[in-house]
Amino acid sequence: MTTTASPGSGDLVAGPGASTAPGVRVRDLTVVYKTPLGELPALGGVSLTIEPGTITGIVGESGSGKSTLALSLLNAVQSPGRVKSGSVEIDGLGDVLELAGNDLREARGRHLGYVFQAAQNSLNPLKTVGKQLLDLGRSHGVEDQRALVRDAKELLERMGLDGARVLDSHQHELSGGMRQRVGIMLALVLNAQLVILDEPTTALDMITQATILRIVREVHKERGLTTLLVTHDIGVAAEVTDHLAVMYGGRVVEHGPTMQVLGSPSHPYTRGLIRAIPRLSGDTAEAQALPGRPPTLGTLPTRGCVFRERCPLRMDICETVDPLPLSHDDRIVACHAVERSNSTAEHEEYA
Amino acid sequence: MITGTGITKTYKQRGNVLGARDVQALRGVDFAIENGGAVSFIGESGCGKTTLGRIIAGLETYDSGEIVIDGTPMSSLRHRRRQPYFRKIQLIHQDPYSALNPTRTIHQTLQAPLTLRARQTGRSKGWVDDRAEELLSLVGIDPGYVLGRYPHQLSGGMRQRVVIARALTVDPEMLVADESVSMIDVSMRLSILALLKDLRERLGVSVLFITHDIATARYIGDEGELYVLYRGQVVERGLTETVISGPTHPYTQSLLSAIPVLHGLEQPGPERVVPTEALDERHADGGCLFARRCPFRTERCEIELPSLVRGAEASHEHACFHPQRRSVIPVEAVA
Repeated sequence: MTTTASPGSGDLVAGPGASTAPGVRVRDLTVVYKTPLGELPALGGVSLTIEPGTITGIVGESGSGKSTLALSLLNAVQSPGRVKSGSVEIDGLGDVLELAGNDLREARGRHLGYVFQAAQNSLNPLKTVGKQLLDLGRSHGVEDQRALVRDAKELLERMGLDGARVLDSHQHELSGGMRQRVGIMLALVLNAQLVILDEPTTALDMITQATILRIVREVHKERGLTTLLVTHDIGVAAEVTDHLAVMYGGRVVEHGPTMQVLGSPSHPYTRGLIRAIPRLSGDTAEAQALPGRPPTLGTLPTRGCVFRERCPLRMDICETVDPLPLSHDDRIVACHAVERSNSTAEHEEYA
Repeated sequence: MITGTGITKTYKQRGNVLGARDVQALRGVDFAIENGGAVSFIGESGCGKTTLGRIIAGLETYDSGEIVIDGTPMSSLRHRRRQPYFRKIQLIHQDPYSALNPTRTIHQTLQAPLTLRARQTGRSKGWVDDRAEELLSLVGIDPGYVLGRYPHQLSGGMRQRVVIARALTVDPEMLVADESVSMIDVSMRLSILALLKDLRERLGVSVLFITHDIATARYIGDEGELYVLYRGQVVERGLTETVISGPTHPYTQSLLSAIPVLHGLEQPGPERVVPTEALDERHADGGCLFARRCPFRTERCEIELPSLVRGAEASHEHACFHPQRRSVIPVEAVA
């Protein structure tokens, strides 16, 4: 299938009501889950600034808190989880954690688009895609249903699908890659400017994955979105994003431009993770798994650095003090060892 | 050594609203796995790699063809007589979360097959416990920690190790690892791959590695062979490193081109191949199975089915009328 856009088609799809891409500022966000052991933090005071118009990857292993962070942006953390403190400021919306009821519903869909993991679980198996689209329109008080269907069709065609056919289909008649594109269409059709994709390519085949990633990148550019891509697969994030936030144990441990984070990772976790990726070229003996295993809610240390158990650069201070995220050039890193080497380097510069 | 010739398998689907449709899972596949060797089957979902793995492990029947294990053709034996042969081949499931009985401790899980084994070989009961500990140490976990625990108390990586230890209880000659690392956290994936490599080297077991992630196949060990399957046909075969660095079939090239590039570390390969359309199983079977999606197809491809033939190197085979080496995999970025 060819998805090369004809000139100007991007403007056409953007449609009316398109506003500018919003920025996101997460401040000291702590989300806890109630367990028999008490309330345990899935996010431990996360601060993250997403610049408008960027496409940011949030990568982490299971239990890193990446999905909880993504859901917090929609104010959709569900029981037994609860936002304990912090704020999520989104341009044009204010603090989404303060929104409730109708305002919140308006925000989701109109401003925030969410593409769920493996869209097969998020589509209603009993209704055609078109009916679900109209439901979405009705719940958001869209008056011109025809225009909505037209926009949806255009979006689907932009992604290389037969729009009319897809709208008339039930989910079981669509392949995994097609469903994922339907998910993207539903997230964008109300002109959301901030789009969050949760594991958009998990369970898809390699070639389909490459197609979806290309579409994500193109749509992001054409519609001038702010896009967040949540994934466990650092390769997927590397392929499409311009910024990368690496999460571990409920914290963002490193954040910066993708090329820099991958090319010269600072945090020992990022470094280890990149070395642990099976790759197509290079010496297989050089690749090494990280020792130990990722922490779960129950095994997360209550004080000190969350990564210290697996860290080759561990120091005494790591046992007791949780490292603060500090910015250095374009990069934000939360690590005592990196902090120390940065400050000595600066010292030498001024010496 | 295990060889297969002309293995075919068709799944018949009963008629429903959409009409009856037969799915040809395997269309005459040949393979050979040496003792202590490492063979990888690569392909997308529906290419037949899992079916083939299950057939080799004796868990699935096949319609035609022959499997020969250590010189004995399986067609010459009655079903019950085949069992000792297939016991030498143990399957490691994809999902370590569902492969272990949640109501049994790891000790109980290992004890059952080991007791049977002790009876067969006339060993004492004490051997069972010793062997359980030995196997757990062999797969790199502390027996004292896991033996008394239940599967839900262990991480995915540990469970997968337990599954491997359980497979080793019957002293297999071959392990069939079907997507065995895809559900393991990225930071620990390599350690499971290293374990399989290590078992190959230390115990001489051969490994049949089934995956959609070609890069992982490189880590199973040296001299590994790669079979690329597409819609039930082997379209390319050769040494893993040779096929990855110089793929000649356009499907292999598409598959390798689709692997994400780690920008900042790598640059995309200069000749990446993108299929002209998405996979549609309903494509007519007239010519080459990949023809409809192939950017390099000619008229001949639509009429005639290419068979697996020798390429430039003796050990590198392909099923394509227009084979050409292309460099599609990412290259190291120069800093």
